[in-house]
Amino acid sequence: MNEKKLKQLFAWARNEPAPAPPKGFAADVLRAIRRELPAETPRILSLFDLLNRLFPRLALAAVAVIVLCIAVDYVMTMAGVPDLRDGLAQISAQWLLTPGGFGS
Amino acid sequence: MSDDAELLERIRGGATEDFAEIVRRHQARVFGILHRYERDAQKIEDLAQETFVKAWRALGQFDGRAPFEHWLSRIAARVALDHLRWEKRRRNEIALSELGEDALDWLHGSDEKQELAARDAAELLDLAMRELPPLDRAVITMQELEGRSVREICEVLGASGVAVRVRALRARAKLKRALEKLVNT
Repeated sequence: MNEKKLKQLFAWARNEPAPAPPKGFAADVLRAIRRELPAETPRILSLFDLLNRLFPRLALAAVAVIVLCIAVDYVMTMAGVPDLRDGLAQISAQWLLTPGGFGS
Repeated sequence: MSDDAELLERIRGGATEDFAEIVRRHQARVFGILHRYERDAQKIEDLAQETFVKAWRALGQFDGRAPFEHWLSRIAARVALDHLRWEKRRRNEIALSELGEDALDWLHGSDEKQELAARDAAELLDLAMRELPPLDRAVITMQELEGRSVREICEVLGASGVAVRVRALRARAKLKRALEKLVNT
């Protein structure tokens, strides 16, 4: 099959007329669209649907918050600032577990 | 009669019935694109309907920067490509019996003056192109039969210009081999 023959074949094939759209084709398309319409009307979402839809974003946000907390804790420890554990121990020692403190 | 932009604005505003006018205006073009990929009239009609329904669903994404018919023809070409992929899984055999006598004579003959009817030529090409992977067939159909530019093909396929040119060259070579295979059958 040489190039000339192939080009000829393309040229002839290009001239083939397309089939005419049948009468009422536009109406058929509209019917198909109308079948889709009810699915598009907004429905009230339950809390479960909402959480389900937001889950990937919520999970990412939770991971980001945890990473941020660990980073802040690490930086504060490196800077010599008492970290969360020290702070809690201090609060327990000074306030919660002293006579007259909370719970006594 | 209002132009496409006005009609589309009304449709977006909820006048679904006006989409019928859009269909009437562009149906010939859509059928014209799809018959390059499929020869069965009923299937062409189904694919055309799928094209318009997809266009209707995606109307919110049409920004009006390019003419509506260009946007619609891209959707039609993508529908055709999906169809080719589906058909490739289903049907892969080549049947010479589907060809007319004139096409067979031309295929086997060396008479350069012999002419082939458009229908026979299209059938012969269709038969040979069944050997090609769907993407190759789509590229060569868009380039040679629809007359699309490389840039337009890139937009339809989401590929780079280099990728499309390379694929077109390879597809052409494969098509020649497929036609030679038919000659030797």
